[in-house]
Amino acid sequence: MNRFHRSATILCVLWFSGCISHPQTPEEFRKAVPAAFSAKVETFEVDRPFGQVANTFQKMGPNCLSKTVKTTSQTRTSYQVIVTTYKPTVLVTPKKAELHVQFHHDQGVIGVGKEPEGGYYLLVADASPVSQTKTRIDLYRPSMGHGVLIQAVRNWATGENVGCPDLTK
Amino acid sequence: MKRQIKRISAAASLLALLTAAFVAGCSGLKSYQNTPDNNLRVRTAADSGSWFSTVRTAVDIHGVTVDCQTEYEGTVQLNRPTIDVGIPPNRWSRLVFVFASSSFLANRSGSITYETLLKPRSGYQYEAKVTYKDDMYNVAVHETHPSSSVSRELAHQDLRACHPNQ
Repeated sequence: MNRFHRSATILCVLWFSGCISHPQTPEEFRKAVPAAFSAKVETFEVDRPFGQVANTFQKMGPNCLSKTVKTTSQTRTSYQVIVTTYKPTVLVTPKKAELHVQFHHDQGVIGVGKEPEGGYYLLVADASPVSQTKTRIDLYRPSMGHGVLIQAVRNWATGENVGCPDLTK
Repeated sequence: MKRQIKRISAAASLLALLTAAFVAGCSGLKSYQNTPDNNLRVRTAADSGSWFSTVRTAVDIHGVTVDCQTEYEGTVQLNRPTIDVGIPPNRWSRLVFVFASSSFLANRSGSITYETLLKPRSGYQYEAKVTYKDDMYNVAVHETHPSSSVSRELAHQDLRACHPNQ
């Protein structure tokens, strides 16, 4: 069981105990993250014009994150297959670029709670212009697991080492 | 002693070959039959970043019909830094790059794909740069004009860009 599945299990247990309910919109997700124990807000500025950051979100988001991935893990006593579909959404206005990442388990994990259309929210990245050459990024993201995805989104913002995250990791 | 080691080594190689053939047969994968064009050069650099894991790369090639249906034509294992592939010109092909990783210690495996459409023009050369490093992957396809060395990167297109009878 990797970190993602551990955190998914913890979240499910907490939901069962009534501790949390799943955010149904990006705005609800933004509001829930600061108080959540398994998520955090990360804010930073990049030396890149807002338009370039927005373009990278628009290009890389759909190309890299519209994916269905299958992972298998095996121990002496168990064999687990998990199929997960990710859904990115990119919204761009002159003053803000938003990247929303949702996920839905097609196989291997029992869904609990009301799942928003398109899947549970996993990450929201907001980019807004600070000056002509600087952009502010607010990253609402998990604090456990999903390191590769988070690093990829950071790279899309900075423009360095731009690539797609291996979502099986 | 040396002869014995050689025999064991040969037997192991044969077993590996038979296993690979068996797995390939069962998985439904078939080797892609190159066209004579050799118009696509695939440069691959894949590094799992760990002694305890591997990443295997391959490209599945599908033909795309005029009504945007796909037909699997075969797979090219990207097990060398440079491999030349012939893709039929003047016709859409769907290239699905597969990154399959496995971790020995965690007994875990998974695969992720990156697909793009390509319609090679006659006489043009194409180059796909396929990289996998630090759990990030990238595929960039460039087109080079036959009479010049200037190349341009082709925009990523998936099957949604295909419109019937175009």
